Amino acid sequence: MPEWVYDGFSYFVMAYSTIVLSSYVMFAFLAFLEHKKHNTYHDDDYTIEELKKSPYTPGISIVAPAYNEEKTVITNVLSLLSLDYPDFEVVIVNDGSKDHTLDLLIENFDLVKVPYAYVEKIKTKPFRGLYKTRSDNPAFKRLTVVDKVNGGTKADASNAGVNVVSNKFFICTDVDCVLEKNALYRMIWPTMASTRRVIAVSATMRMSNGSIVEDGKMVETRPPHDLIPLFQDLEYTRSFLIGKTALSRINAMQNVSGGFGMFDREVVIKAGGYDGDSFAEDMDMVARMIRYMCDSGEDYRVVQIPETCCWTEGPPNVKVLNRQRTRWGRGLFQFFTVHRDMLFNKNYRQYGMFTLPYILCFELLAPLIEFLGYLMVLSLLVQWAINWNTIWIAFLGLYVFAQLLTVTIISYDVWVGTSFKHRRDYLWFVLASLLEPFIYHPMNVYFSLRGYVKQILGTQMVWGNMTRKGVQSAKKPAAPTSVAEAKKAEKDA
Amino acid sequence: MDYYVLSRYAYWKYYWLILYYRLQEFPPVVRVWAIFTTICLLLMVAIVLGNFFRVLNSAADNRTIDRYREKYLERMRRIALNHRTLELSDIASELRLPKNFKMRPRQQRRFVPILLGLYREYSEKMNKANWQRLLTVLKMPAYFDDQVRSRNMRKRIIAFKNVADMDANLKEAVASRYLFTKDRKLQNMARLHAARFGTSYPFKVLLDDPNLVFTDELVIKYHNVLLYRQRNGMSMPNLIHWCNRMPVNDELRIFAINEIRLFDRKEDCPEMLSMLKGSRDERFSCALIRALGEMKYVAAEEEFCRRYLSASFTERQELATALGNINSGSKDVLKFLEDDFMQTTDYVTRMLLLRTIHDYGTIGLKAYERLKKDAPAEFAIYFEHIECKLIDSRRYA
Repeated sequence: MPEWVYDGFSYFVMAYSTIVLSSYVMFAFLAFLEHKKHNTYHDDDYTIEELKKSPYTPGISIVAPAYNEEKTVITNVLSLLSLDYPDFEVVIVNDGSKDHTLDLLIENFDLVKVPYAYVEKIKTKPFRGLYKTRSDNPAFKRLTVVDKVNGGTKADASNAGVNVVSNKFFICTDVDCVLEKNALYRMIWPTMASTRRVIAVSATMRMSNGSIVEDGKMVETRPPHDLIPLFQDLEYTRSFLIGKTALSRINAMQNVSGGFGMFDREVVIKAGGYDGDSFAEDMDMVARMIRYMCDSGEDYRVVQIPETCCWTEGPPNVKVLNRQRTRWGRGLFQFFTVHRDMLFNKNYRQYGMFTLPYILCFELLAPLIEFLGYLMVLSLLVQWAINWNTIWIAFLGLYVFAQLLTVTIISYDVWVGTSFKHRRDYLWFVLASLLEPFIYHPMNVYFSLRGYVKQILGTQMVWGNMTRKGVQSAKKPAAPTSVAEAKKAEKDA
Repeated sequence: MDYYVLSRYAYWKYYWLILYYRLQEFPPVVRVWAIFTTICLLLMVAIVLGNFFRVLNSAADNRTIDRYREKYLERMRRIALNHRTLELSDIASELRLPKNFKMRPRQQRRFVPILLGLYREYSEKMNKANWQRLLTVLKMPAYFDDQVRSRNMRKRIIAFKNVADMDANLKEAVASRYLFTKDRKLQNMARLHAARFGTSYPFKVLLDDPNLVFTDELVIKYHNVLLYRQRNGMSMPNLIHWCNRMPVNDELRIFAINEIRLFDRKEDCPEMLSMLKGSRDERFSCALIRALGEMKYVAAEEEFCRRYLSASFTERQELATALGNINSGSKDVLKFLEDDFMQTTDYVTRMLLLRTIHDYGTIGLKAYERLKKDAPAEFAIYFEHIECKLIDSRRYA
């Protein structure tokens, strides 16, 4: 290979990494300002107290699609029903489960099919029925179960949920997610405090692998002790506490996680709901919501709140991680083919002029550039033409910078109110951070590239089931497993 | 051999010189990376040490608060719950503060969470005079004055919040300086304070500000302020006049109408009805309709029916609900509702009309049965939906 190719690539990589590192520093600084503002103006107890007694507190609906979740559905629904908020409803969408998910729900919550006048505001697979409880338990009254034909995607099930929610705001989550007891207060507050219309709110999500959960409630938060979930926990924390918080500050949020996010129902319906064909349906929907707001000339905000509100079980092994990240990679590629007209389009404000170009350059293209870098190093190694002095100091610099970012997120996490019981748990983060560049990062590069290739080749992709190992339980879940038990629990209550 | 003890500065200088001369022989890219790595390392150490000391300080602070709580909480509770109004000297002796105990801001800050907890728990039962005197003995008013006057933004806001939360006193002159400050949060806190404790025109600033941004957060807070004033027998504002004053923010006008509804001020209904007749703003009209409906102002029915046919779907839904709330048993109204049920094209409006007819007393139920018999087959599900007791009545909006 001619020498100018190596030189050109070296200069390109130098410039590219300088911009990436500068953007990380800028994001960390913006996140610092946002956390400072949040800590100055926000008081959780005060907010909860105000919202609890006010007649103006808006209602919230929680939409949780369930597909073949018979093992965990009862405990998780009980957990959702036990959230603390004056006015909320839980809508579980049974997406044509092949197991006993619906039967268990009917039996445990004493459900009965009701004649519901269903209006399909967003197109979904056929609706089969809506179930409500006959029980006098006020908590159970909040539950609505929607049964529909399987649509093959979470998007379709979520859309069916959106069609029946009765509140202005709804939270979209997974039935296996463990929510913080005060999550709803935290989520609704930005919509009330903002002077602009808040169309979506995102909260920090963490891994539940390793934590202790009792009756679907988080008893003790611990970092995962397995490497793959631990890496992801670190990655999520970094993304939420630095990346998304910084983007939220300049109102340029790229995504509200499908695992836990709150949306304005009216805007979601007008934007067409989730797209079942998209592999990154959450990012796609946020883009369409922003498109709708910008096209109709309305002012909007997408907000990230720093507190941890949700724990989800991350892929426990490389196989599941591969499936997840390949899908994400494919989704990102697909996203840019669908929404390319928003790129560098000033009509879409910060989103079009900053967020999308940033994601294109530093998220979509990054694995490709990194892969080329590996090839270059390999080629130089074969020729024994590597400048070791440069390579080791550059690697050391990047490695130390990665550790600095980890230390920064740990301090931000402590600042916004740590969820870990012991501060020594952060040592697991340090361990993950030390190993991440050698193990996790190269894996992700490979999985993303695999996703791009699959998208380009148009390979048929099946939504695989997430294999769950289940979180640690302090004791056996006390969820009633029959009507008799449910009635007994009701009586006790 | 002589050893020299170098100053810390000299060590740094030595390090940088080594770095500089060692790196002379390397290309610029290596030098840049070396400096970058050093800066990252230094920042990392600074952050780690900063966190370490912050955690240590907060742990020490919490220990002191616990000690204070253990020592004084019970005594404070006894004072606050004492039915007999105590003198300042009695309170001081009851508290048994050490003789050399100087009330410095640091000590007072530690009393704040204890006092807040106490007030939150016993505010209903406590002797308010004793409580105020207890705060005076602990010099809390002076502490809050100082916090609001000369501390940073965060402390000022927290001080305002604490004053409201423990019903403490703050000099009006101190609070009023922030009524027009540029920082909106601080401005709002100062205005809320003025509204809560003020005696002469407490809401004047709110009404006179043409640039007012009235968020939902403020709606909740001002509602609490009004509740506080009502509970403590303080003068209440004439809310209906807020709607006529110029320049009043639209949100504030809607808030005023909603408050009239929540405080059930039936005497304002005639004026609200005349406002509705002249109103063209949809949101304001909806607030008026909802208020008149919930306060069961029968005289508004005629205007509701007159307005209905030219109204938007949102307003029609409010009107249908309001007519259902008034539930005067008027046959004309029922006939009107029935006619519109067959004509309307909007699903939500149709469901609301059906619900209103169903709940409109015995004559409503008869009309409902008649409609059910005459309605086309595709409407059957609506009737079943309305009749089902298990479905939440708002689950069609």
